[in-house]
Amino acid sequence: MADRYDAVIIGGGHNGLVTAAYLARGGLRVCCLERRDVLGGAAVTEEIVPGFRFSVASYVVSLLRPEIIRDLDLGRHGLEILPLDGTFTPLDGDHLWRVNDHARTVRELRRWSLADAEAYEEYGRLMVHMARFIKPILSVVPPDQGRLNPLEWISLGPLAKRFGELPRRLRDTFIQVMTMSAADFLDQWFETDPLKATMSASGIIGTFQGVRSPGTAYVLLHHYMGEIDGAYRAWGIPRGGTGGVSLAIASAARAQGAEIRTSAPVARIDVRDGRAIGVTLESGEEISAGAVLSSADSRVTFERLVEPGVLDEDFMADVRRYKFRGSSGKVNLALSGLPDFTCLPGKGDHLRGAISFSPSVEYMERAYDDAKYGRPSRRPYIDMIIPTLVDPAMAPAGHHTMSCFVQYAPYHLADGAQWDDAARDAFGETVLDTIEERAPNIRKLIVGKQVLTPLDIEQRIGLSEGNIFQGELSLEQLFFNRPVPGWARFRTPLQGLWICGSAAHPGGGLMGAPGRIAALELLRERRGGRWRR
Amino acid sequence: MSGYDVAVIGGGHNGLVAAGLLAGAGRRVVVLERRDRVGGVAELFPTAGRLRQSVVDSLRLRDHGLELVRPDVRMIALRDGQAPLVFHADAGRTAEGLRSLSAADADAYPRYDQHVRALSGFLARLNRLTPPRLDRPAAGDLVGGIRLGKTFRDLGPRTARELTRALPMAVADFVGEWFESDALRGALAARGTLATAMGPWSAGTALVLLNDMAEGDGGPAGETALVRGGPPALAGALRRAAEAAGAEIRTGEAVASIVSAGGAVMGVELASGERVEAQAVASAIDPRTTLLDLVDPMAAGPRLRWRAGNIRAAGHVAVVELELSAPAAFDGVDDPALLAGRIVVARGLDELERAFDASKYGGASERPQIEAVITPPAGGGAGHRLHALVQWVPADIEPAAAGDLLVGELERHAPGLGGLVTGVTARTPSRLAEEYGLPGGHLLHAEPALDQFFAWRPVLGMARYRLPLRGLYLCGSGAHPGGGVTGGPGENAAREIARSSA
Repeated sequence: MADRYDAVIIGGGHNGLVTAAYLARGGLRVCCLERRDVLGGAAVTEEIVPGFRFSVASYVVSLLRPEIIRDLDLGRHGLEILPLDGTFTPLDGDHLWRVNDHARTVRELRRWSLADAEAYEEYGRLMVHMARFIKPILSVVPPDQGRLNPLEWISLGPLAKRFGELPRRLRDTFIQVMTMSAADFLDQWFETDPLKATMSASGIIGTFQGVRSPGTAYVLLHHYMGEIDGAYRAWGIPRGGTGGVSLAIASAARAQGAEIRTSAPVARIDVRDGRAIGVTLESGEEISAGAVLSSADSRVTFERLVEPGVLDEDFMADVRRYKFRGSSGKVNLALSGLPDFTCLPGKGDHLRGAISFSPSVEYMERAYDDAKYGRPSRRPYIDMIIPTLVDPAMAPAGHHTMSCFVQYAPYHLADGAQWDDAARDAFGETVLDTIEERAPNIRKLIVGKQVLTPLDIEQRIGLSEGNIFQGELSLEQLFFNRPVPGWARFRTPLQGLWICGSAAHPGGGLMGAPGRIAALELLRERRGGRWRR
Repeated sequence: MSGYDVAVIGGGHNGLVAAGLLAGAGRRVVVLERRDRVGGVAELFPTAGRLRQSVVDSLRLRDHGLELVRPDVRMIALRDGQAPLVFHADAGRTAEGLRSLSAADADAYPRYDQHVRALSGFLARLNRLTPPRLDRPAAGDLVGGIRLGKTFRDLGPRTARELTRALPMAVADFVGEWFESDALRGALAARGTLATAMGPWSAGTALVLLNDMAEGDGGPAGETALVRGGPPALAGALRRAAEAAGAEIRTGEAVASIVSAGGAVMGVELASGERVEAQAVASAIDPRTTLLDLVDPMAAGPRLRWRAGNIRAAGHVAVVELELSAPAAFDGVDDPALLAGRIVVARGLDELERAFDASKYGGASERPQIEAVITPPAGGGAGHRLHALVQWVPADIEPAAAGDLLVGELERHAPGLGGLVTGVTARTPSRLAEEYGLPGGHLLHAEPALDQFFAWRPVLGMARYRLPLRGLYLCGSGAHPGGGVTGGPGENAAREIARSSA
């Protein structure tokens, strides 16, 4: 019996769509199935309050791979990224405001510390070099460290060679960013507390770690990777919200001939003779395919969609111990005006970039301490943006949308507490209280509000435990151990089943890398005529 | 030429090991110790369970009077209001004792024992190596690498994968994957945070745990070997071994600076002004002090000084010794044999982490992590001593407060213990810094974290025991494989020094 499709993709988030687009581009008959009635997964734009459109979950484009933008010609399909300028950190009676204009930022830092202003330039240069060195890792298929098959390690050869060619100072930095805490790493350069706190914040976003937790320095690099991607500034917000990215990718996929269906929840992955042969939808419809690629996380894919008993117990034990531990929530506000910060009143340009509630390293760390013991932070870290200042069409004239990414909100609460309505309300109030301390007019502006707890993110978006990266980005769950040691090569022990989402290397973020590598790997294998493993 | 082949700075246990081995290899060696006796911080520890067997053998330490007593009870973990968890040398026996706590944990324990032994066995091999040069591996590195690769492969695919997963883990996760009882988790995780400035949820503490087991007959509870005669007996045996091999040992001689010319060391200058000429200088003291205080700043240059200054060595552990007028009675301990090993307070993962949290903000734990050993008086009678590591504390905590912290916690488990205390000697991190010359008061010379490990301990480019002056070596705890009474850095460094000056 001929398969209806060469490949069926579970999930119409950005990675699923990227996979669909690349496979269709490679000449395959492809069908992508999205559970919800909107495409995008966590990169989704929805009208939450009438007239106000929000990037509900993921709110900035961080690292969308430039090769994806190029290969899929996403510009032609409607992708437009609007730059976010700068980071504003409100403080008691003062502020720290860094902008993309380097000279201005250095002037601002001089106000705090001459040494830091000087170090900032050196640090920036070093990190750009470092990002350039590390970037190729994002395109590599990790080898299986348990087999030491030279063919698999070859892809790392150029990287090892380039490591040897790095100046000593950069080799040092490489080791440090891979192993240190963001705060310790920054301590080497800087003394200004709000600067260290705000910079280190990018190291903890989406993780269940604090700025002093070893292993968080690596993410600092991500900010600099955007800068080296050339003409396309990869750090910003897409016109139309992050759903705009998903729709552009979907449009590109369709143009390549991919079929994309919404409201098509997959009930299970069909298996015959030890291989995946397609999927059955909740409607009962069976869709046969030569390969099944899941962009859902590993818990959904292996524990829910594959019937028990199909995968061996060792593998399933590894799947079960994989850590999700969602740590963040989201508060989306529809506003009748702009917040007025006590420390810098008025509607200046400081509102046009990221607004970071990260006054000190201790503040950040205490926020984490609360979460460690199962409580939402009493004073959380908030990464706030006001998208309407760069994309006014997201709200009615004169009105604004505000996106607040909030950390920490642990998925597992202490003492048997649940994320019920009362807990959600309390969480929302804590966030508003925190904002109100620095922008007292905030509550008066609110015309609509959406509060998402990690449980909401799990239920609405389908991310287990509300982990925005489909699994904790801790050192032991990266590279060849993501999502299961020995199974980081996008294949699974079930022949014909692949993973192509953030659960796979190189992990989460609006990056598209896992979807792309998985698709290229499948195409390569097909060309080689090899369907083993 | 006049002078010595090697001048060793610091007569701590690693300095003595290096000196003994080098003298045994025919080098003219002098050890320069600032204090009036050798032993360094090792004199604070009555246990030497991690002392490398090859060090004991090659220095013939038994012939020089070292006697290690290995009690059957390796460790007990005290609990609030309940009998302690008991860890025997035999995993099966330990497991049976755990059965009342949790049948699942009792079943898991022997498998966990096997698992950690497999992983730490690999680290034991790693610890013997001189770390490779990562940029331009030399032929010797390649051979070492191939051997290591074979050891890695011999683990089997599943264990090999587990090793790469385990090394960067937080010890809380590492033990949490195996056991359900929080008391057991805490007791086992404490090996991963002992003497460090990290809590159990810090990534890389699983590595500390595995490394702790890498020497000796480790296993989950770690080895316990008491030095008969107390801590001075170890220093004494090391000293006699070094001297028997021909090394000269001078105490009361502080090194003021390392003398160099043209990028090569010429010897050292003592505080007295005397100059000791030597072809090579091996520093058994910490890398920060060596590079920042002893090497001529002009010879080091600003970049090297910046790197040395960034070696993380903040100490948050106090060493406290109690003199007791009589043996203390611990709750639920009816057999004195239970007190023969290490006595640990690590009541659970969250409790350990809370104890750590305080140190992040400059405070002391309300209820600290403790590792203690009680030594009976020589020749019987009264005068037991309790030696303890107490963590976490701020560097400048008052010694009395550190003592109170220990006594207060022990009083909860051994009511009345406070009344038996006849003397307290508390060494806070500041005092350790002053008395033993440890920068920041860190007992391990440099934090044993992932960023100061193996080929980048203390920093990348200096892990091969050679510091950036020709003829200058590092042979103390700041070098691979790190701190603790192992003799590992001393032995590895001696091998490198002997090779270079052959």
